[in-house]
Amino acid sequence: MNVLISGGCKNGKSMYAQRIASELAACGPLYYIATMIPHDEEDRARIRRHLKERDGWGFETLEQGKNIAALIDRDDVDLRGSFLLDSVTAVLENEMFPVALKDGRIAFLGEDEDAPERVRRELVAFASAVKEAGGSVVFVSDGIYGDKGGYNPSTEHYRRALANADRALAKVCDRVTEVTYGITEEWK
Amino acid sequence: MIFVFGGAYQGKTEYALQEFGAKTVSDISEAGEPDFSKDVVTGIEGFVSRCAEQGAEPSEYFASRREQWENNILIVTDVSQGVVPIDSKVRAAREANGRLMIYLAKEADQVHRVFCGIGKRIK
Repeated sequence: MNVLISGGCKNGKSMYAQRIASELAACGPLYYIATMIPHDEEDRARIRRHLKERDGWGFETLEQGKNIAALIDRDDVDLRGSFLLDSVTAVLENEMFPVALKDGRIAFLGEDEDAPERVRRELVAFASAVKEAGGSVVFVSDGIYGDKGGYNPSTEHYRRALANADRALAKVCDRVTEVTYGITEEWK
Repeated sequence: MIFVFGGAYQGKTEYALQEFGAKTVSDISEAGEPDFSKDVVTGIEGFVSRCAEQGAEPSEYFASRREQWENNILIVTDVSQGVVPIDSKVRAAREANGRLMIYLAKEADQVHRVFCGIGKRIK
């Protein structure tokens, strides 16, 4: 069973998603798809905090910040397991706005205009492959669509691309849940 | 009148066309005034911004033309969340949008909210 969880920032989506993913694991493996690609000490500190929060839940961590469909063919990944992908937002960011380390500083390489379509396709392919194998994926995304907007073009492209990815996932997911301050609303 | 709202890029117009069998659309997000001879009037938030820039009140515009849109589907993007905009004109537009949405929700026979392409009737 595939689940899409969205809602505002700091509303309890991740904790709720962890619970759903571990319930869905039943007796198969439980995977956490780590989507954050660390670039500096602040990122590494955040990752240590996240690792601590997941400690004791029994998650096996898979580092995959980009190219989600690559998980389908990995020998060490059992598609009958339960996967938690937190977050769609981070995967899209990593692919749309690639960066490189130059002399110890983060350099932006420019917007990848093919990324929105590619990311959407790969997410749907991964969801379908896992479902076909009898496993499940819990996708966590972010509801960033209710404000006045008026951002620069890159940010607006990103917002549109994330919305399109969410809508494509909503179609292939069995459940779509919005989390508002820990309270859940079922959309599907 | 059926009132449909939701965040940006959520598939509101697509939902209205599918759910209510509507055929024709007047999109006023970038320019123009509502054409109520069309089944659906969408992008009303853009019209609201242009009204607010000129100091006009869009909820009055709609209230004075009530008989024209009684059988339409009206779609407005919700812009009520996030940080209060620093630009006073943008701030005025956001507030006018909220007032119009309250008015339309009150007058509507049905209100639907769209999230990730999925609609839900909430009135």
